[in-house]
Amino acid sequence: MKVNIVTRILEANERLAEQNKALFKESGVFVLNIMSSPGAGKTTFIEATIKALEARGLRVAVIEGDIQGTSDAERIGALGVPVVQINTGGACHLDANMVREALPDLPLAGIGLLIIENVGNLVCPAEFNVGEDAKVMLLSIAEGDDKPLKYPLMFQESRALIINKMDLKPYLDVDVGKIRKDSLSLNPSLNIFEVSARNGDGIGQWVEWLAGYIDKNS
Amino acid sequence: MHEASIMQSVFEIALGKLEGSGYERVDSISLRIGRATGVVSDALKFAFEALKPGTPFYGAALVIDEVPVGGVCLSCGEDFSTDERFVFQCPACAGSRLDITRGRELDLTGMEVS
Repeated sequence: MKVNIVTRILEANERLAEQNKALFKESGVFVLNIMSSPGAGKTTFIEATIKALEARGLRVAVIEGDIQGTSDAERIGALGVPVVQINTGGACHLDANMVREALPDLPLAGIGLLIIENVGNLVCPAEFNVGEDAKVMLLSIAEGDDKPLKYPLMFQESRALIINKMDLKPYLDVDVGKIRKDSLSLNPSLNIFEVSARNGDGIGQWVEWLAGYIDKNS
Repeated sequence: MHEASIMQSVFEIALGKLEGSGYERVDSISLRIGRATGVVSDALKFAFEALKPGTPFYGAALVIDEVPVGGVCLSCGEDFSTDERFVFQCPACAGSRLDITRGRELDLTGMEVS
């Protein structure tokens, strides 16, 4: 017998993502899903963002997604911020269920922003919503200026693009203008920030924008 | 890269439909996959073959309908499809304001059971 059905394959994930989102809204928590290649500087960027936001009085918590290990969670924990480590055990992305299972360990009532650091990967995380308000992607200039056109989906799905490791620019043959131009052709409403998470350059502008964006959208 | 977890979701949805239907086996599964998703048909087929032994899908065929990227140009109204995975300009008027309506599908569209 032939059965005709039309069901979104990722429907189960979408449903859980909606449930997470409802819980975040109820708790008054704004949620960022941070995505990049491995080594682009997500954890250093998150550290810099937390320091700048706490100076403005915004309480932050972090979910760290990695295939294995707890070194990122230890770095974030050293800042005195609530943090939960998720080990995906091989999976290339976080999904809504993994995030849901981490939530009981976070003091949602006491925070204003939850930063979810996804598994380092430029492909898969873009396909799986976890209940976030905005996706933010990081690209370090050492990865090269050809990445937007090679991995377009993540650039299209993101609300903001952080171009990181700008302090390395004198040593690299990278065209930052091309990264900007190609990213904007994929996603005209993308907000782009050039930063060095390592020395703090550009973090002020990013945090200023983020604070305004959170006010407008929560 | 995440085709195995996507195929796992397909199996879960299809098993849910099979349960209580009075049928025992799945003979075919049909999917509709847009070309702008990061999902690769060959990898889906590989995951399907790897996952099906010992399940009601062991004898099933996998049918994949790949959907080209397409949409409507907001400047000239052209309804276009393309072989590219991403499109930045209207093929007719080169306008850049596009409403992309096809190519992001990731659907289970049918199954045959017996």
